[in-house]
Amino acid sequence: MLQCIFLLADNGAVILEKQLTGHRVDRSICDWFWDHVISQGDSFKSMPVIASPTHYIFQIVRAGITFLACTQVEMPPLMGIEFLCRVADILSDYLGELNEDLIKDNFVIVYELLDEMIDNGFPLTTEPNILREMIAPPNIVSKMLSVVTGNSSNVSDILPGATASCVPWRPTDVKYANNEVYVDLVEEMDAIINRDGVLVKCEIYGEVQVNCLLSGLPDLTLSFANPSILHDVRFHPCVRFRPWESHQILSFVPPDGQFKLMSYRVKKLKSTPIYVKPQLTSDAGTCRISVMVGIRNDPGKTIDSIILQFQLPPCILSADLTSNHGTVNVLSNKICTWSIGRIPKDKAPSLSGTMVLETGLETLRVFPTFQVEFRIMGVALSGLQIDKLDLQNVPNRLYKGFRAVTRAGEYEVRS
Amino acid sequence: MAGIRLHVISPLVLVAVGKCARDPSVFVRKCAANALPKLHELRQEEITSAIEEIVGILLNDRSPGVVGAAAAAFASICPNNFTLIGRNYRNLCQILPDVEEWGQILLIEILLRYVVASHGLVKESIMSSLLCIESSHSEKDVFDVNVALEDNGIPSRTYDSELVNLVSRSYIEGLGEYLTRSSDTNARSSDLNGARFTSGKTNDDVKLLLQCTSPLLWSHNSAVVLAAAGVHWIMSPKEDVKRIVKPLLFILRSSGASKYVVLCNIQVFAKALPHLFVPHYEDFFVSSSDSYQSKALKLEILSSIVTESSISSVFKEFQDYIRDPDRRFAADTVAAIGLCARKLPKMANTCVEGLLALIRQELLTSDIESGNGEADVLIQSIISIKSIIKQDPSCHEKVIIQLFRSLDSIKVPEARVMIIWMVGEYSSVGVKIPRMLTTVLKYLAWCFKSEAVETKLQILNTTIKVLLCAKGGDMWTITRLFSYLLELAECDLNYDVRDRARFFKKLFSHNLCSQVPEETNALQENKDLPLVLVECIFRKQENLAASEPINDRFYLPGSLSQIVLHAAPGYEPLPKPCSSLCDDLGQFSNSIDRTTALGEEWTGSSSNGTDDPDTSGSLDEESGSNYDSQQSIPGLSDNSGTGDSASEGDRNCDPLIQISDAGIACSNENGASHSGFPDLEGMMSKRALESWLDEQPGSSSPSASEQIQVRQSSARISIGNIGRQVKAKSYTLLDPANGNGLKVYYSFSSEASTISPQLVCLETFFENCSSETMSEVTLVDEESHKALDLADLTLATTAR
Repeated sequence: MLQCIFLLADNGAVILEKQLTGHRVDRSICDWFWDHVISQGDSFKSMPVIASPTHYIFQIVRAGITFLACTQVEMPPLMGIEFLCRVADILSDYLGELNEDLIKDNFVIVYELLDEMIDNGFPLTTEPNILREMIAPPNIVSKMLSVVTGNSSNVSDILPGATASCVPWRPTDVKYANNEVYVDLVEEMDAIINRDGVLVKCEIYGEVQVNCLLSGLPDLTLSFANPSILHDVRFHPCVRFRPWESHQILSFVPPDGQFKLMSYRVKKLKSTPIYVKPQLTSDAGTCRISVMVGIRNDPGKTIDSIILQFQLPPCILSADLTSNHGTVNVLSNKICTWSIGRIPKDKAPSLSGTMVLETGLETLRVFPTFQVEFRIMGVALSGLQIDKLDLQNVPNRLYKGFRAVTRAGEYEVRS
Repeated sequence: MAGIRLHVISPLVLVAVGKCARDPSVFVRKCAANALPKLHELRQEEITSAIEEIVGILLNDRSPGVVGAAAAAFASICPNNFTLIGRNYRNLCQILPDVEEWGQILLIEILLRYVVASHGLVKESIMSSLLCIESSHSEKDVFDVNVALEDNGIPSRTYDSELVNLVSRSYIEGLGEYLTRSSDTNARSSDLNGARFTSGKTNDDVKLLLQCTSPLLWSHNSAVVLAAAGVHWIMSPKEDVKRIVKPLLFILRSSGASKYVVLCNIQVFAKALPHLFVPHYEDFFVSSSDSYQSKALKLEILSSIVTESSISSVFKEFQDYIRDPDRRFAADTVAAIGLCARKLPKMANTCVEGLLALIRQELLTSDIESGNGEADVLIQSIISIKSIIKQDPSCHEKVIIQLFRSLDSIKVPEARVMIIWMVGEYSSVGVKIPRMLTTVLKYLAWCFKSEAVETKLQILNTTIKVLLCAKGGDMWTITRLFSYLLELAECDLNYDVRDRARFFKKLFSHNLCSQVPEETNALQENKDLPLVLVECIFRKQENLAASEPINDRFYLPGSLSQIVLHAAPGYEPLPKPCSSLCDDLGQFSNSIDRTTALGEEWTGSSSNGTDDPDTSGSLDEESGSNYDSQQSIPGLSDNSGTGDSASEGDRNCDPLIQISDAGIACSNENGASHSGFPDLEGMMSKRALESWLDEQPGSSSPSASEQIQVRQSSARISIGNIGRQVKAKSYTLLDPANGNGLKVYYSFSSEASTISPQLVCLETFFENCSSETMSEVTLVDEESHKALDLADLTLATTAR
């Protein structure tokens, strides 16, 4: 079981330490860890499981903050990692975003959260809705109150009703004046386009996110028009497995508020909405680069916030890049970002420029990979369609809303 | 209350918890379950049984929340008390999908252990199939099982049968026991095979478990998915195992950290049953956002699942990877190409073509010092070509010749060494190569002076190899060249080269002078001791096949030990099939006696196990087969990587010189050294223990420093309460190549310390592989800076 959790800032300083069991874990383990990070560089930071001299360490890195969990005995490693991910998610949910100052400002809340989430090294309550009920999220009013009254606890006195009920993810007495359900399809497109411009892999990773503002104990049924295109699925614990096995229908008692109902994957898509054509030619110590971006298959809605990002190879000394649309930035660590935004009607955006290679190097032999970001509102590119959303014992006024959005996930163009 | 951790109040707390465990409120019962592990941690003998009783009550609960917490308590308090599970098995299975996610992870594992313990393995599963096959030789009654297997008509035998066998055995027995057993004779293996198998189709309990875990493959917690997949991997019939593939691939998409863990597990699955993952090869294509470790794992998986239909697209991907800015990754890709080509011999030609093109391209630019990365890629590509050629040297004659030609332009010493090695190795292959030999050797002799040390050594070796198989007119030229080289080498700055040269000169002194006047006849007559020696040293290498690396993960899927590659404290292999005493059916009653007897036998062997490995190792060496691991690996295996191949020369050198001391002396020396060993070990470990007594148990990092050499290397050793774990794995502290002949390795012994349960026995082994006497070897404890003062311990090995 987990023995201790540390949060490290990006300079290696310990922000927070939480001992979980009777066996104290000494803080020196963090020094050991950080020494190795410094000596071995980034490859050590991306190791999720590390065997240190005394403990096994699980680590994840989120927004510059390193989450470490230590154990001395055998346990499923994914359990540790998954738990740290939950902690990170919930903290960023509570604090708005995740950074060192925010955590320091809200120490009390962070410790209270950890107290509720893990007990004696075993995860306890990780459902965000329940946690919200137990510990009030920070806001100005509560801060004022705590300053004035001197009572700094945010833990509510009453036990959340859900812990005892048969649906542990839902509070028992929820009341809304307006009953609303919003279902969002959020899809991310992963694609790899190889050097010859061939689409090697294209798939959609999607999530069904539901924002549920319903009174009582509602029982929802969601069905898709074309469930057969789904390759794999994963569900929130609230989804009943039997109806899905037999009829591919999602039947569930939803948690209150925003949650992720299911995630799915659609494989082997045939086309991508936009194309990116990079060209690099190098000769006599200089390299010419030109990148063209355009719409290949019009999805029917506007494609916006297109950003192209690539890491210049280490052998390039300097780069001079210009574009006819959007802005180009080259950071000091040789990451080049070209933000295009929307593609204009009259011209195709292109980036061109010259780069100077290291002295002695005639031609460029390593090539960067271009990462593309974009967003299309209102379309689910996988083609998944929601058929209907049914609600047993319908309240008087019910509003149902559906939305869809597609983003680029790991969308890569190799050159 | 339980969190206070005071021994005094623990009986009171226990009463309170017991009361709460029968409370009507679900939440109270859940809290009671959570309090149990804390009570248990106080380690009070008298209350243990009471705690276990409460666990039993809580496991019998109707509410999923309570059961989840009770499962956690069970796992930490009494993981082997299967009677508690047996009572509630059906209830637990049915409630499993509703338990909260963290409880599910543990409950799945508990149920799996219970089923294996009480019903044995499923006979349709991969785990058992091989055990059956083996046992069919010895025991007739299992034979029908075997037949049933064939009837199933699954894509059988497509997997690496030996590996599956190894994996399945080590799941059950644990790595340590497996190793000690394998060093033993097979006497006991038939006993194990007698273990019962049950049929997944007829046994309701197994069926129920599989049924209840299959919806969990859809869980959104990746740990639950992996745990459920592990159950199916071990228990489900072979044709159903593919059910786990899609969910496993899907959790690859979650966070970067869990991706690595999942890949580690998939790697094992894919090695054992490649056909499962063959249709999904696209999922293992590398994306630039992966961490380096994930990329390397993906490459390894890709090269193990590649088939003839997918090879073309995989190669296209590989071509892209080679141009990746991360040169370490590019080098790995080249190695993966080599693996693919070995797996699919039909593709070997294409691979070699591609690799040669790559080498040419590298050569264009590697004139300039463009960093280590480029050199790595070059070396790796030559290693790959070498391994491909080794499979079938005769059809790759042209490739070998091309490599010889490129020798002039390749500047990286390691790469040169390998090509020169090939000159010696394939000197008699084909028609054209023998004709080229003299030219190549002349060239080598011409540039000998400007070479790096390892290249020089390799040139000497190669010349001898060529000399040994040279015939006719070339003989004279080569002999001349050889003596020229020897003269050069004797004046070399490096003493290794000088030593080598002198040694060869001694060996051949007889030959050289006698051969010049009367050629072949003399050779026949003069096949005296040194020549025979040389012959067997150099010619034998051809026959030694590089053994497959056994760095596979032998631990249960989804466990921590599998990721860190050694048994973490608290890791337990699956229980012995049918070992549970709670068989309510009672039909195995006579087998129980047998298994318990067996268990005793095992414990007996495991206590012996500690000195087993090294004695067997020393036996090997004594018997004079000096080309075991040490010598065969550097030349042939490409897995040992670039670093090893660099030191090839050095290592080859060491055993050679030992032999040169002539037959009798050599065996005497070996005998002496090994008889001296056990005492030495005993002394060492005792010393070590004494020094650790004063410290906090937890960590200490001893380092062995030698005063003869300036080199110092330290390794960290983690110490937990490993008492019950049998581990025969030894870690190298200092290998002979680095330590100028001193080889130091250590291993944790299985026995608990007699002084304190918190201490661990550590055995350190010293071995002198060099020709020189070593004295004043000291073992220094880094933390306490207390020299252990073993300086007086002049090694018995070196009495020469």
